[in-house]
Amino acid sequence: MRLVFIVTGLLLAVVASAATPEDTVRQAMSTLAPKLRIDAVQESEIPGFYEAIAGGEFVYVTKDGRYVLDGNAYDVANRRDLTATARAKVRKDALEKIGPDKRIVFAPPAPMAPKHTVTVFTDVDCPFCRRFHQQIAEYNAKGIAVDYLFYPLSIHPGADKKAEAVWCSKDRPNAFTAAMAGKDPGNATCPNPISELTEFAKSLGIGGTPTVIADDGTQISSSIAMSPDRLAAELDRLAAASAAN
Amino acid sequence: MKLRHCLPLAFAAAFTLSHAAENAEDAAARKALLELVPQAKIDTVEAAPLPGFRQVIVGSQMVYVSDDGKYMLQGTLYDAKSKRDLTASRLAVDHKRKVDAVPVSKRIVFAPPKPKYKITVFTDIDCGYCRKLHSQIAEYNKRGIEVDYLFYPRSGLNTPSFDKAVSVWCAKDRNAAFTAAKAGKAPTPAKCDNPVAEEYRLGQQVGVDGTPTIFAPDGTKIGGYLSPNEMLAKLEHLGTATLAGN
Repeated sequence: MRLVFIVTGLLLAVVASAATPEDTVRQAMSTLAPKLRIDAVQESEIPGFYEAIAGGEFVYVTKDGRYVLDGNAYDVANRRDLTATARAKVRKDALEKIGPDKRIVFAPPAPMAPKHTVTVFTDVDCPFCRRFHQQIAEYNAKGIAVDYLFYPLSIHPGADKKAEAVWCSKDRPNAFTAAMAGKDPGNATCPNPISELTEFAKSLGIGGTPTVIADDGTQISSSIAMSPDRLAAELDRLAAASAAN
Repeated sequence: MKLRHCLPLAFAAAFTLSHAAENAEDAAARKALLELVPQAKIDTVEAAPLPGFRQVIVGSQMVYVSDDGKYMLQGTLYDAKSKRDLTASRLAVDHKRKVDAVPVSKRIVFAPPKPKYKITVFTDIDCGYCRKLHSQIAEYNKRGIEVDYLFYPRSGLNTPSFDKAVSVWCAKDRNAAFTAAKAGKAPTPAKCDNPVAEEYRLGQQVGVDGTPTIFAPDGTKIGGYLSPNEMLAKLEHLGTATLAGN
């Protein structure tokens, strides 16, 4: 009789240890919101929790899968917003997996070396994306390299086709600049990363364009990003902050 | 002389009482929150359903602080097993306590003979949906819903909307004056002892962020305007949900 208990206990222990963080988070979220997309499950800095992006929102899930907190976490002693830090880390890790072959790069002209690189999710038919790109020379002049990733929003019908035409043109940067100035990019087709990048943006909870992300994964507010001066200052500040840590 | 001695003593006694039940974890949570938000007015600190955490009610909001005071979580806590929103249900209890504490003498009541449900509505004389709601008061009553009004002049204390509320309160026939004002008739200016400022502050304490803000009998914040039929359906649903939840 006692053996039965012990064996059951062992089995339970095995079952419990076999559940990966992903399984646990998925299981917990499935009872609350069955259709929610779960991405980027990882160990949280808060002991006893996993953290994940669920439907674009950051959630904290207890390791036993019982409780889910949809919100933000803070490190009290250091006054740190842990959610912002964790989100940045998720973005940084994810962006490192997107190679230069999927980006359209506008780097400062040689011999200038870029001081900072930002990744910008962009859409040919988004007015603020166009305005951002009108200033590309100024960003570059401030030592900022801009890597574009296409993220045509569904609210702009046909923007995905334009992105593809740009992607498939012979001179990609020129075609991009022309399209951002309102010129029809034509309708060339070829193998392209656009749908993959769209899924990728969604998996990071990115809902709009332009979304500007710094080297360390921090999402920069658009009021800052739209100004070359303010963006340069913010990137300097972020670099100094991460050097200090 | 005597009074000057008595007052500090009374304060000390009250202080001791309210903190008597506080343990080390509660104290750590309180300290952690004040560290991050020095001006926070803490209502309640208690053990959270989340093991290893305290829950702190601040005004109409809830935060969770680890028992060692190191981490603070702000957001909505769900029990994945029962699918319950633990934050909203705890806050509802707190809101109920605060709203129920308002005596009937400080409410403007429109009730049917045998009410099945009682809702508390924070209202502003000058708000469109508040007026729409009140224009249908007989329909709510007919469905067994008692409507208790509390004043929440959105523009704040000592503004024209605030003065109208005071004038209605101080009228001889309060309910008639209320109905007339809701129909757009400017109330005859009047002044007297009134609970308007107190109710306005209570609104802030229970998370009123617009008018009308409607609370169900169990403290659930129903939100804004609902038609008489929608209101009844909502109250019936909440009634069964509460039964199922227990």
